[in-house]
Amino acid sequence: MIFLNINNLNVSIEGKKIIHDFSLNINQGEVHAIMGPNGSGKSTLANVLAGNENYEVNSGQIIFKDHNLLDLNIEERAKQGMFLAFQYPVEIPGVNITPFLQASLNSKLKNENKEELDSLSFARLLRNKAEELGINSEMLKRSINTGFSGGEKKRYEILQMSVLNPEFTIFDETDSGLDVDALKIVTEGINKFKNKNNSFLIITHYQKLLDYIRPDFVHVMRNGKIIKSGNISLANEIEESGYQNF
Amino acid sequence: MTLQDNFNKHSKEYIFSNDALLSKDRQKTFNKIELKKFDKRNNESLKNINFSDLNSFNYYYEPSVEESSVNLLEKKIYQINFINGKCKNYEDNDIEIRNIQSSDFDKFKDKNFYETDDIISDFNKIFLNSGIFIKIKTNSKVKLNLIHTSHKNYTIFQHNFFQFQKNCEVIIEDEYNFMDATINNIQYNILANEGSNINHNIFQNFSNSNKLYFTSNTICEKNSSFSQNTFNFAEGFVRNFHYAKLNGEFSKAILKGCFFLKDKNICSNKTHITHNAENCESDQIYKGILNDSSRANYYSNTHVSEIAQKTQGYQLSKGILLTDNCSFFSKPELRIFADDVKCSHGSTIGPVDESALFYLRSRGINKNEAMKMIISSFIDDDLQYLDDKNIDRINKSLSNYLTSI
Repeated sequence: MIFLNINNLNVSIEGKKIIHDFSLNINQGEVHAIMGPNGSGKSTLANVLAGNENYEVNSGQIIFKDHNLLDLNIEERAKQGMFLAFQYPVEIPGVNITPFLQASLNSKLKNENKEELDSLSFARLLRNKAEELGINSEMLKRSINTGFSGGEKKRYEILQMSVLNPEFTIFDETDSGLDVDALKIVTEGINKFKNKNNSFLIITHYQKLLDYIRPDFVHVMRNGKIIKSGNISLANEIEESGYQNF
Repeated sequence: MTLQDNFNKHSKEYIFSNDALLSKDRQKTFNKIELKKFDKRNNESLKNINFSDLNSFNYYYEPSVEESSVNLLEKKIYQINFINGKCKNYEDNDIEIRNIQSSDFDKFKDKNFYETDDIISDFNKIFLNSGIFIKIKTNSKVKLNLIHTSHKNYTIFQHNFFQFQKNCEVIIEDEYNFMDATINNIQYNILANEGSNINHNIFQNFSNSNKLYFTSNTICEKNSSFSQNTFNFAEGFVRNFHYAKLNGEFSKAILKGCFFLKDKNICSNKTHITHNAENCESDQIYKGILNDSSRANYYSNTHVSEIAQKTQGYQLSKGILLTDNCSFFSKPELRIFADDVKCSHGSTIGPVDESALFYLRSRGINKNEAMKMIISSFIDDDLQYLDDKNIDRINKSLSNYLTSI
């Protein structure tokens, strides 16, 4: 089975080309990191994978678990096991976390022909997951991301990931806006979740995040394409001399 | 039938047609409208109203055979059934309910309730055929469930007086049971005396052959508080115009509303709060969801008199447009003549927040469900002061509305 294969992808927004002939292959259980300067197209890639309809895919192909990803809409991709941890999780006042997340999980379970969870079973699951991540149960009574601090928003993203149990997660600059302690908590959550069946694509500017989550592969992205690939030593090189050499 | 025909043919049927003073006032108001002595184009009271509907309706009103009733559901909870604008007389230690008398107009006239440029109120005065007077006595705590039943083809011109005596606490719930093809021009004059605390919840949900012109004028005396929440799920035309005057120090008025429109439905809204005393607070918040080719307007107006120092006034209007064919016109206005005030206003109208929609969908929620979640969340704040029965009522209306999306 092809887990994730991106082949010669070209993407534009409002006529401006952002991603040029981008190709990447990710196998099950692998952790990939994409690093790059501002404006290199990293977040665009994350959004395109998740199905954001504001971006126009001009050409190329994305295969995810043997499906043509570009034929699937946003929610169908999520049901197939794709999860985007947002750089700026949006606040949605009035939509309560618990019923929302229950509806999310049940839509996925239904898609997999599995039995949906009733409210009681879901509440138990959510409470256990929240405890594992050190999230106060009071937070579960609130509206999505509403009034959350930057750290709380990112922890809530990890909680969602943990509940929905996706096979492929994209972290779009999850480290942005986090202090050292919050970063440690968030990455501990990710590491607890990591196993041989799920894969990650970590998008970041800095090597710091990769101290906590060790990637199998590091790629440097510039002007919408991967210009160099390697291992963790590539991240160290960037940390020392920046992106000037690429 | 023309306005003139209606006025002449039915003049003996109107309530208080034998009262010389009221008849004279009626004739004067009629002449103003008949001679069109007003600026139709710039009159907010006529916004989104088809003037020909007002000019050529079929006036129909007969005394009802069906008996109206006042039921004491539980201690201090009164269910008052209006039949074609009339009700049964009732009195106990907390409440007095009776049909209106011509002298009520004199008593309330001193309070200067009326807005002179509201043509719909003028129509109410001309064709007045019913109304009730409700007094809640000093220190009483009661709940009133008002059910307005209008029979098929009836034209109801109802004028109600509410007198809330000192320190009373009242919850009013209005609901409507319009049969078919009714026109309902209902006016409330509400006097909240010192220390009284009034919550007024209005649930508008009726079929598209009915029309409701609902106007309220409220006066708040010292330390009193009036909070109105309007939920409009009606398929027929609704005009909600609500005025409040803060005449006593430390009084407070909240006029809130939300409406859900679809098809070609139209809804006209206005709130106007006048601050006439120091240290008063007001909120005017209206929200709307519009689908298909529906349209709505909302005028909000805060007037702060010269003497009304330390005023706090807030206005907000929010609209979500679900199609390119619907429209929402919003006009906030602040007229401030005092120099120590804190007032603000805001207005946002646009489609459903795309980023919120993307976020929800990225978690596996389908587009339709995600839209419903966002729309439901729109009124979440407005439900927090309602009891479970009314929250269920709103949720049912909302889910009925959402099936059309």
